[in-house]
Formats: sequence, structure tokens, C-alpha cells
Amino acid sequence: MNKILILLTLAICASIIFFFPPIKGLGDLAKIIFFHVPTAWVAVIAFFASAFFAAKFLRTFNFSFDKLSARAARLGFIFVLLSTISGAIFSKLTWGAYWNWDPRQTTIFVLILIYGAYLTLRAAVSDEKVRAKVSAVYSLLSVLTVPFLVFIIPRMYFSLHPSPVLNSAGKIEMDSIVLIVLIAAVVDATLIFVQLMRREIS
Amino acid sequence: MKLSNSRFEQIAAIVRKDFVIGLRRRATFAAMMMFALTAVASLSLSTGGIFVEAKFLAALLWVVIFFAASAGISGTFDDEAQAGTLPTLKLYADAQAILFGKMIYVLLSLVALTIFILPIFLILFDVAVENFFLLLATILLGLIGIAAAGTLTAALTTSATVKGGLFPILLFPITLPIFLPAISLTELSFTGGAFDSSSLVVMVAFDLILVTAASILYDYL
Amino acid sequence: MIVFDDVSLSFGRHELFKNISLNLRGGKVIGVTGANGAGKSTFLKLAGKIIRPDSGEVKLINDENNCALRIAHYALQFAAVAPEMKIYDNLTAQENLFFFAKLRGKTLSAEKISELGERVGLDLKTFGNVRAENFSTGMRQRLKFAILLSVDADIWLLDEPTANLDDDGREKFFREIQAAKPDKIILLATNDRAEENICDEIIKLPL
Repeated sequence: MNKILILLTLAICASIIFFFPPIKGLGDLAKIIFFHVPTAWVAVIAFFASAFFAAKFLRTFNFSFDKLSARAARLGFIFVLLSTISGAIFSKLTWGAYWNWDPRQTTIFVLILIYGAYLTLRAAVSDEKVRAKVSAVYSLLSVLTVPFLVFIIPRMYFSLHPSPVLNSAGKIEMDSIVLIVLIAAVVDATLIFVQLMRREIS
Repeated sequence: MKLSNSRFEQIAAIVRKDFVIGLRRRATFAAMMMFALTAVASLSLSTGGIFVEAKFLAALLWVVIFFAASAGISGTFDDEAQAGTLPTLKLYADAQAILFGKMIYVLLSLVALTIFILPIFLILFDVAVENFFLLLATILLGLIGIAAAGTLTAALTTSATVKGGLFPILLFPITLPIFLPAISLTELSFTGGAFDSSSLVVMVAFDLILVTAASILYDYL
Repeated sequence: MIVFDDVSLSFGRHELFKNISLNLRGGKVIGVTGANGAGKSTFLKLAGKIIRPDSGEVKLINDENNCALRIAHYALQFAAVAPEMKIYDNLTAQENLFFFAKLRGKTLSAEKISELGERVGLDLKTFGNVRAENFSTGMRQRLKFAILLSVDADIWLLDEPTANLDDDGREKFFREIQAAKPDKIILLATNDRAEENICDEIIKLPL
């Protein structure tokens, strides 16, 4: 499985770097979007995974679920940082500024804050049984904010961010080859996340 | 969960007890009020004479409320844990009665804080409030949310060995859905512009969710 | 009856209890003894569902509320005198009594309060309106004892209850325990000869 993933990742990277023409007017660096989208996707997936395992832990009091929840949060934190940085670079290239509190930037920043708070809480509680309970409760509490933020934030801040790949109109405004590579990259990143989660258990 | 008469009596007893102790010790109240006063004074001094936009004023007000509230309510359970009374309280009282008793006490002390700091804020920044009813409704809804999330957060941080600054770090992300609409509604109450009632609905809904979540999650602690 | 069903509990790597199964029946005083660190207090906390075992279950038989949660109202049948369970220093003796009785839905009358004071040997006419912060350790112990008596709980958890009491206090305490035991489950964690002597049955830790 690991070998297949490495090959897939290399193939995707190679096709992006060598075979894609530079994006019009943005230069080669703009290809970072192929890194940004998958990492953002995994950051969100990891957030819900962490909350899911937290709920599982509270139902069963099985401490391996607590470990999974913490692992998902740690991986998610790394992915959200990578995604934010790559997004800021892309933002500089397309909009001329690294940061402008675009709704999506705001949302991902809140995600950084939640991950940071969760990991700080874990670090601050020394008793492992208490830590498991307390962090699971916080994880579930923080996941409640997500639907509200998704509803509120776009009303309060003007957005320049391109619509998600699957936008509300149901139209896909991309070259089919670009889309295929992007989907492959998202699948690849998700599999890397799953693989890292599984590796950590054993 | 059964809500009986005796449950309400228990909650009332806990709120009353916390008030008696709060008034006798005064330190927590005094710290919260002085924190808010210091914050407002320093902001007002440093912007003295400059025209400050309504949007910015609204944000300032909520920043002051958030950090003063953090200073005041982070010790909701800590004080009892330090005094060694928390195990006794947990043994003799019903868990939900403790949670709601503390939550109501926190809400009332936040209301007291606002009654103290809001007039000072409005006078020092020379704010003309156009829609007073909207301002009060917004602040009350905001405080309910902070009280619900803050009480549960205070219960979480009680077991932490490193406490410095932990409480606001944990509280901020989960109360953000309260702050964003609260700030825009407060701005509209200052300027008198037409307001979007959906923001109020969002605040009410999120308050309800926080109270319910706190009630469910507290049982697992 | 309190039932320990295959209960295990450890702190970090240290295994305190391993697969314990036993029944604690009512109508007698059950002593819990053992060296320091053997887990006497922890045993009481397990019985009182104040802490949860790592595996296994502690149950109260004749109780339908078998929820997996901590304890909620399920716990309201317990009362305790233990060193780590402090009273409110900023409240007067009477306010402490009133508060804890209220938590169990009881409103204490003035006669009831002075009767409780007599039973534990604390003069509440004089000290009733004095804040507990001014009390000596022995007086606090008597006040905790009065709270225990006032709430009328089915299960008593006593952790070295007479450690700070003089002879008169001990005698009063023992008399109340003997009088109350027929319809209660009483657990008494102790290392003290006099306290051991009033127990009808001794559980010696480690098991």
C-alpha cells in the first residue's frame, strides 16, 4: 500500500510539474493549487474524523479511540498549516495579497485556532484518563461551530475565492484533464491520511 | 433527564450559594470589573480625539466583554477545586444542577459586568446609540452564549495542570459564531441601519445549541 | 447492595485493583483497611461512583438507572465524610448545613439544626453564624458529620472520619454509626484501632 501511494504521489507531482503548461499569467508557482486543494480537503476530513473518534471514545471509554482522535487532530493540524501557507501563496499570485480575510481564509483560520486549542488542551492536562475525556468533549463542542461558521462567515465577508470544484450551479469550469489530476491528487492525499492513521495505531 | 421541582430548588441553592461566596470574597468580581475598566480606559486614552468608526467600536466592545468575561469566569470551577469543595459539591449535588447553577451564576455576573461597563464605554467613546433595544437584545444573547460555552470550558480547564491563558484560547473558537453576528448587530444598533433578523435567529439558535451541548457533554466529564 | 463486578483500576502503570468482584451488603459497618497507598480512599470513591473503573462495573442493585454516564442523580444516595471533601469556608456553619440539605431537597428547621448540633457535639447556637474559616479542624469535622446526618442518605462513605476528633466527638460519632447501620450501607476506610473495632466486617487491601 505504501509503495503504491509513493508511486501515485510521484506520478501526480511529475505530471503537474513537467506536463502541465504554466497557468496563464500566473507562472509555474501557481501550480501550488494542486497542493492546496488536497491538503485543505484532508484538513477538514481530519477535523471530522477527530470528532467522530471523540464521540466513539465517550460512548465506549476505549482509549484507542482517544489515541485515534488525537492522531487525527495532529495530522489535521499539519495539513491545515500546509494548506493555509500554500493558499496564501496562491492568493498572493492571483489577488496580489497573501491575506485578506476572505471567507475561506477566515474559516481555515478558525480551523487552525480550534486545532491549536485542542492540542494545547491535550498538552495542558497531565492525567491521561482526564485528558481523554476533556479533549473528547472539546472536540465535540468545537465541531458544533462549523455549520454556523459556514452559514455566517460568507455573509459577513466579501469573497474572491473561486467556487469549489463542485459549485452550486453544478457546472464544472475546468479543463477535464486538470480536473482529473486534481481529483487524483485529492484521492491521493486522502489515502495518505488514512495510511498515516492506520500506521499510527499498530 | 428529569426536570423536577427539586431540580430547580437545587439549581437555585447553588446560584444563591455562589452569590453569597462571590460577594464575601469580592476578588473575582472586582478583578473582572477592573479588567473591563482598564481595557476600556486604555482603548479610550489611546484613541482619544480620533473619530472611531461604528464597526470598530462594536468590535472593541466585544473584545472587552470577551476578555473581561474570560478573566471573571475561568475560575468558575477552579476556585472550588482549590478550596477543596468541588468533590463535596459533586457528591451531594446532581451533576446537571451543578452545571446549570454555575451557568446561571456566570450569566448573572456577566450581566452585572455589562451593566457596569456599557455606560462607561458609551460615554468615553461618545457613542450615540440609535437602536437601544437591539443593542440590549444582542448583548443578552451574546452573554448567554458566552455563559453556556464558558461554564463547560471552565469545567474542562479545571483538570489542566498548566492554566495560564488556556481558558480564552479554548473559549474563543467555540464562541466565534456568537461574536461575528453580535459585532455586526452592535454596529447596526450604533448606526441605526436596518438589520438582518437572520443574524438574531443565528444567535438564538447557537445559544440553544451551546446550552444543550453543555448539558449533554457535562455528564461525560 | 453495592456490587463490584470484575473491577480493575490503574494509575499510570501502577495497577491498584485487578479484576475485583465482591458484594457490599447493607445493615453493617464494613471496614476497609490496608497500608498507606493500598487504595482505601480510592476503593470508597469506586463504591461511590465518584471515579469510574478502567474496566468492569460498580452497580447498586435495586436501581433501574443503569446509565453508562458518570452518576448524575444516581449518586444522590451517597453521603460522605472524607478529608478531601471540604466544606465552604466562606459560609457559616448554618449556611453550610442548609445548602447541602437543600441539594437533597430538604429544608432544615431551626429545631432540626440545633438537634443536629447536639448529636455531633457542635454548639450551633453559639457557632451557627460563624464562618467555617474560623473553625478548628475538629469543629469542621463535626460540621461535616452534621451534614452527613442531615441529608439522610442510604450509603455512607467514611474516610478516617474520627481522625481529628477528641474522645467525646468519637463517642458521639460511633453512637450515630451504630444507630444508623441497620438500614444503611456503611463503608469505613481506616487505620485506627478504635474505628476498626466498630466494624462488623473488614476488607483488607490489597485484595
